[in-house]
Amino acid sequence: MTTLTGEPHGVGARPRQAVAGLDWWLLGMALAVSGFGVFVVRAATESDLASNSGFYFTRQLAFTVVGLVCLFFMLRLNLDDLSRYVWTIYAILVASVGAVLVLGASARGSTRWIELGPVRLQPSELGKVLIAFVLAVVLVERLKAIEPARLSLMVLGLTMLPAVIVFLQPDLGTALVYLAIAVVMLWVAGQPITHFIVAGAVIVAAAGMILYVLPAAGLNVLQPYQVDRLTSFVDSGGDRTQSGYQLEQSKVAIGSGGAFGKGPSGATQTINDFLPEHHTDFIFAVVAEMFGFLGGGLLIAAYFIIIWRAIVIMRLAPTELERLVAAGIAAMLAFEVFVNIGMNVGIMPITGIPLPFMSYGGSHTLTNLVAVGVLLRIGMRGRAAQAARAS
Amino acid sequence: MASFASLAIVLLVVLVVRLWFLQVIGGAGYQERAEANRLHTVITEAPRGAITDRNGKALVTSKEVLNLVARPQDLVGDAGARTLTRLSAALGHPAGFFAAKVARAQKASPFEAVVLEEDASPQLQAYVEERRAQLPGIELQAAYKREYPNGTMAAHLLGYTGPIPVEVARKYRDQGYLGNETVGRAGIESQYEGYLRGIAGRQQVEVDARGDIVGRGVISQTSPRPGQTLRLSIDLSVQKALERALAREVAAAGTSTGAAGVAIDPKTGAVLAMASLPTFKPEVFESGTPREIQRVLTSPGRPLLDRAIGGEYPAASTFKAITGSAALASGLYTAGEQIESPGSLMLYKTRFRGFNNKAFGPIALPQALEVSSDTFFYTLGDRSYRVPGWPLQEWSHRFGLGQATGIDLTEGESAGLIPDLAYKRQTCDRKLDPVNCSWRPGDSINMSIGQGNVLVTPVQMAVAYGAIGNGGKVVTPTLGNAVVDADGRVLRDLLSARAMNDLGLPAGVLEQVKQGLKLAANGNSGTSTPVFGGLPPAFKVAGKTGTAENPSKIDHAWFVGYAPADDPSIVVAVVVERGGQGANSAAPAVCSTMAASLGFAESRCGSGAKVN
Repeated sequence: MTTLTGEPHGVGARPRQAVAGLDWWLLGMALAVSGFGVFVVRAATESDLASNSGFYFTRQLAFTVVGLVCLFFMLRLNLDDLSRYVWTIYAILVASVGAVLVLGASARGSTRWIELGPVRLQPSELGKVLIAFVLAVVLVERLKAIEPARLSLMVLGLTMLPAVIVFLQPDLGTALVYLAIAVVMLWVAGQPITHFIVAGAVIVAAAGMILYVLPAAGLNVLQPYQVDRLTSFVDSGGDRTQSGYQLEQSKVAIGSGGAFGKGPSGATQTINDFLPEHHTDFIFAVVAEMFGFLGGGLLIAAYFIIIWRAIVIMRLAPTELERLVAAGIAAMLAFEVFVNIGMNVGIMPITGIPLPFMSYGGSHTLTNLVAVGVLLRIGMRGRAAQAARAS
Repeated sequence: MASFASLAIVLLVVLVVRLWFLQVIGGAGYQERAEANRLHTVITEAPRGAITDRNGKALVTSKEVLNLVARPQDLVGDAGARTLTRLSAALGHPAGFFAAKVARAQKASPFEAVVLEEDASPQLQAYVEERRAQLPGIELQAAYKREYPNGTMAAHLLGYTGPIPVEVARKYRDQGYLGNETVGRAGIESQYEGYLRGIAGRQQVEVDARGDIVGRGVISQTSPRPGQTLRLSIDLSVQKALERALAREVAAAGTSTGAAGVAIDPKTGAVLAMASLPTFKPEVFESGTPREIQRVLTSPGRPLLDRAIGGEYPAASTFKAITGSAALASGLYTAGEQIESPGSLMLYKTRFRGFNNKAFGPIALPQALEVSSDTFFYTLGDRSYRVPGWPLQEWSHRFGLGQATGIDLTEGESAGLIPDLAYKRQTCDRKLDPVNCSWRPGDSINMSIGQGNVLVTPVQMAVAYGAIGNGGKVVTPTLGNAVVDADGRVLRDLLSARAMNDLGLPAGVLEQVKQGLKLAANGNSGTSTPVFGGLPPAFKVAGKTGTAENPSKIDHAWFVGYAPADDPSIVVAVVVERGGQGANSAAPAVCSTMAASLGFAESRCGSGAKVN
């Protein structure tokens, strides 16, 4: 009998190599939450379309499968190679969100998609990952080359161009995600703290101008519904505007879930349609109504694990470029999770930001899984580098 | 980077803490609100019971209509205000019309649907159906409305329905009403509300955000219970005849301000017909505008007054039958006695004149009634003054005068007036005319012919004459016959348990009065012979005319009589205000009514001519 020493048992060398250093926690949690998301979308939308109770479910399932395929493609991605095409990527990003804006304007004024045959793409979603990559490349190349203030302004400028276009679509939430990604990446890149203080002051002043001063002067930067959404969380009791109603129904859904939830068939706020957008922006409220504090808490814990693994991968990243990309993706996920759940529970303004891995939506689902794929790839490279250093 | 991780931890912990507050600490409150979202109470109106005549012919029915209603809880804020404004404009009302209506109604009962427009037209229904999505909180709701197939016929006795007045809302709530129902407000509708009211069904259903009933549907329900059918003793054909005859006589008199008539079955008290003029449209009180209602309430003709039970008139010569009966029953007059009846009578240094000073010589009671001699009855009045006690008053009361008859219309009946010493003391002026504070011979003498202060209602006279005709039984006039189910089976008898007072007179005591009344309608000198003399023998009428002097200078015309004279099945009393002499206007109306009831040709009735 021959003993096969040095050869792994049961698993071939190639597959083993292919998954070497894979962050199983991150992959496992992303898969678990995505699967749970498909299940919740199904439970929440069964009674939405009388003619086709499985409409949202089958589509979300398909989005997830496609997303997973993309995720595995990302495991072979070489970010360094890609960095040569950074301006092309940036141009594609700006052009695609710009195209949506132009097409949207010619339609009824609120399109976020580009129609490619049967597929509707929302370029601003994928743009979140792209902008993180573009900013990372720019930061890496110029970090030492130009003075920090100019660099910060440049990064902000590069972010603002697509962000403003997205904002004009109008999609305030996604624009804010772009800014959050940029801010966190500047921070992780080690830009001086004073930049953030100045930026913070500017943001507060701008928000004050946009929400209160300019409207008083007769100039409305935001659509009325956007102002409603942004301010209704301050006091939603008795507020019967559309967004106040949404928030109120969301709180009733969550609160009525109690400690252990009302189960998928007893979640009347969701099933009877009192909770609007229950398969997209308010899907967390659905989880909390169906599965209570237990389910909501576990879901938040799962997000914590995902974000924690993203940060771990960021620390393992073998190159500055990968570290910054990982930071951008971690920022994106953390910002989306916090703002979305925050708006569900009424402590953040309603900004139309979906919940990663849970909210229904093709581009959104795809983007999150692609982002996880990129993180996993960085993590694998980090582990390999670690192993190389150790040996 | 550690700071990135700690920031993430802090933020996620914030979320968990917030979740804890919402779900574990505030959970119960939110659960209630989720239930309130989910469960709607759907009220299914139940129709009010129909009212029919004794043969089941419809007098009042309920018709299903669609009301345009607003659900206040779905009409809050600017959006709600916009919806109401848009609707106001679309229906041609001023901008704030519906908003004001909703605000008013909400103050009273905040969660009930507010009726914006009753009985929506097909165009309005189409308008609302087509714009369901743009008009959240607005819907069409099935309801029932009273319908009167015979128009204003029997309006007074039927009464009307309307919303519960705010002042008495509490009383109704104690009886299980919600407060927004339409209830009987007058007449039979009010009297028999307990049988007629429909009890709305309540259904608790699970709804979605649009208010559509979903999956599990009905959670709990009570079925609507339609009101019961009330069968009246009224005979529609007799009612029609009476109303037509009254209208005819009022028109013929020219000066008349109104009229009333009552037809009763003297054996049971069942009211066969009862009418009052001028009349009103009962539907005004259910769905009329406030101005229309106000116009009825303040009309100088007092159309709401049911003159048949609430109109008090001097009884005039019709009272002579009562005086005669009282004299016979109390022994002041014995059958066959002849009393000198000159043109006028000098009593207590006062001249009491008879009608036209006509002298009849010595006559007995039947002849006195036939010719309506005043002086004959002055003598009986004088006799009643001279004996101890108050025979005239006492017997008037026993015949049911001077007090409510107890007809099943508790509101609106007047007691009339049989004057006595107490009355005189109450109403006299001690300073100006102290002598008038005592009962004087003239009071008895005037009373004997139904003048003075004697006031009666038509229904009282019908009951009193019925007692003469049926051998001494004072019935309680009754409109309700029975509560019946859909197939006409009697669920509850309303008639047979009604009180009936026997005068307790030996048989034959009133024979002279009955003879006299028969002569009055048929004898050669009978005051109403021109009207009734031509009737077939089987339908001979016994009755008395009356010409009531009153402050208006134009006399009220009376006729009270029963038929067939020997075994009456109907007694009719009619008064025509300012109708002149009784035989000229009241008697023909009575004859027409009897024709419809007994089935002889109305053409057999004469048109009246004679006097008093």
